[in-house]
Amino acid sequence: MAKRKTKRQLLVDTAILAPIDWLDERTAVVGGTKYFLFRHVPRDVSWAQTLGFATLMAFMAQTLTGAILAMYYEPSAAINPETGKPVAYSSIEMITNELTLGWLVRGMHRWGASVFIILLFLHMGRVFLFGAYKYPRELTWITGVLLLATGMLMGFTGYLLPWDQTAYWATVVGINLNGTAPFAGPWLAQFLASGPEIGTSTLARFYALHMLLLPGAIFALIGIHIYLVTRLGVTSPPWSREAAGRERAEVQPAGGRAGLVRRGTDGGAK
Amino acid sequence: MGRDLGERNREAYARYKDDVRKEGKPFFPRAILHDTIMAFVVVAVMIALAVIWYWDAGDTPEGEGLEAGVLGPLYTLPADAGTTDFIPRPAWYFCFLFYLLRIFEWPETVFIATVGIPTIALVLLLGLPFYDRRLERRPSRRPVAMIAAVLTVLSMGVLTYKGATAQEALGSELLKLVPDWAEEQGFTGDEQANEGARLFAVSGCLNCHIYLGSGTGSLGAPDLSDVGDRYEPQALVRYLTNPAEFGNTVMGSYAYLGQENLEKLATFLDASTGDK
Ligand code: HEC
Ligand code: HEM
Repeated sequence: MAKRKTKRQLLVDTAILAPIDWLDERTAVVGGTKYFLFRHVPRDVSWAQTLGFATLMAFMAQTLTGAILAMYYEPSAAINPETGKPVAYSSIEMITNELTLGWLVRGMHRWGASVFIILLFLHMGRVFLFGAYKYPRELTWITGVLLLATGMLMGFTGYLLPWDQTAYWATVVGINLNGTAPFAGPWLAQFLASGPEIGTSTLARFYALHMLLLPGAIFALIGIHIYLVTRLGVTSPPWSREAAGRERAEVQPAGGRAGLVRRGTDGGAK
Repeated sequence: MGRDLGERNREAYARYKDDVRKEGKPFFPRAILHDTIMAFVVVAVMIALAVIWYWDAGDTPEGEGLEAGVLGPLYTLPADAGTTDFIPRPAWYFCFLFYLLRIFEWPETVFIATVGIPTIALVLLLGLPFYDRRLERRPSRRPVAMIAAVLTVLSMGVLTYKGATAQEALGSELLKLVPDWAEEQGFTGDEQANEGARLFAVSGCLNCHIYLGSGTGSLGAPDLSDVGDRYEPQALVRYLTNPAEFGNTVMGSYAYLGQENLEKLATFLDASTGDK
C-alpha cells in the first residue's frame, strides 16, 4: 500500500500529473517530447548545425510579425477618400507612422524576409558542404529545396503589398517576366495579374498567396523536414576525427602493424 | 570494394546510429543551448535592421519617411501606373534574374533567362542526392562538387551585384534625346510625331525596347528604330491598345494613355523608319 500523500503531493497529482497522463494516454505527447528532446546527437555537432534552427526562428518571427501586420493592413488599390492615396498604401503609412511600435513590427517583417532568405542559403550551404544530403537524407534535402522555392515566392508576393512605386514596378516586371515562358507563361502572367491591369484584384491575389497559401505550404514542409531530421539524426562534420559513422579499419592487412595500417588504409581510419 | 552501394550506405548509417547512441551527447540541453543562442541572435539582427531602417530614413517635402537612409526609404510614392519616371527594382534576391534578362536580350533567348536557367537550377538542386550518390562526404574528396559550388556562388554573387547596380535611363533623361531622334528619322517638323516621341520617352517603353541605341532590350522586345516599316499607323494604335491581339503577352496594354495620345505615339512610330 502506498503511503498517505501529503496535501501538496495530492495537489500536484490532480492539477499537473493527472491532466498530463490524460493527454498522454490519448496522444502519446510525453513520449513524443521525450523522443524529441532526449535523443542523442553526434558529439561534434556545433554552430554550423544551428543554421536550420535559425531559419526556423526567422520564419516564426515572420509569422508573428506578419499576423500583427495583417490586423491593420488592407489589400485594396482603391483610393482612400480621406488621404487621397490608395487604401493599401495608406494602411502601410498608418502602421509605420501612427501605430504604437508599428514601425518596429513592419521593419522586422520587411528585413526579416532578407534574413530568412540569407539563412536559407547559409543552411543549404552547410548541408552541401557536409554532404548531408546523401543517403538516407535525400527527402530532407528535397523538402529543403521546396522550402527554398516557396520562401523566394513569399518574397515575390510580399513585395507588392505596400503598393508603392517600388512594389508596383518590380511586380510589373516580375509578371511580364512570367509572360515570356513558353506554354504556361502567358497563363501564369494572366493568373497573377488577374486582369488586364495590375490593380486591386492583383493585390488581393498576391495577399492570399502571401498570407494563406504559401505559409500553409511552408508549415507543412517544415513539419516533414523537422520530422525527418529528428528521425534520421543530424550529420557530423565529415572532417571530424570523432564523426559519428566514421570508417574504422576492420581488417588488418596480413603482417601489418598498427602504425603501418593507418598509412595504408587511405585515410579511412580516423 | 565489391559490395554494392546500397549495402555500404546502410552499413555506414548503422554505424552512425551506433556511434550516436554510444558517444553522442543529449540534444537537450547540450545542443539546444547553441540553437537558443542562435535564435536570439537572429531576432536581435531583425530588430537592429528595423531600427536602423526606421531611424535613418528621413522626410521629404512630399511626405514622411520618403527620404532613403542607409537601408532605403520607409516607402516610395504610392503606386501609379501612369508614372514614367520610375525605375523598377526587384528585391535584392531577385537581382540575379533581373540581370540574366540583360544578358539574354535577343527575343529567341529570353525564355532561357526567365525560365530555362531557373528551371535547370531547380532540377539540378532537387536531383542532387540522386546523381551525387557516392558515400564520400569529406569536401576534400569531393572536388567536382566543391568546384561546382564555388562557381555557383561566384556567378550568383556577380549577377546579384550587377543586377543591383545596373543603371537605367530615367524618362526625363531620355526626353533630351527626342530632338536627335527627330533629326535622324526626319520628322523634325511634325509636331504630332514629336509629341509622340516625348510620350515614348517617358512611358517606360525603353525599359524593354531599344530605340536608336537607347534602352535596355530585355524580355525579348525588338528594336523599334524601324518599326514604321512593319506596321500601318492604325495597326500600331491597335497594337498599343491590346498587344495580346498580336500574340504579345509580355507587353501590357497602353489603353490608359487615351486615344489621342495613342495616335501621337503611332504617328511617331510610323515615322520611325530606320537609322539611315
Ligand atoms: C514589358 C516590356 C515592354 C514594354 C514596357 C513595352 N513593350 Fe512593346 N513589346 C514588348 C515585346 C516583348 C514585344 C515583342 C512581342 C512579340 O514579338 O510578339 C513588343 C513589341 C512591340 C511592338 C511590335 C514590334 C514589332 O516589330 O513587331 C511595338 C510597336 C511596341 N512593342 C511598342 C511599344 C511601345 C510604344 C511601348 C511603350 C508605350 C512599349 N512597346 C512598351 C515588350 C514591351
Ligand atoms: C524554412 C526553411 C528550413 C527550415 C526551418 C529548416 C530546418 C532544419 C533544421 C532545424 C535542421 C536540423 C539541423 C540543422 O539545423 O542544420 C535541418 C537539417 C537539414 N536541412 Fe533544413 N531547413 C530549412 C530549409 C532547408 C533547405 C533550403 C535545404 C536544402 C536545400 C535543407 C536541407 C536540410 C538537410 C539535408 C538537413 C539534414 C542535415 C543533416 O542531417 O546534417 N533545409 N533543417
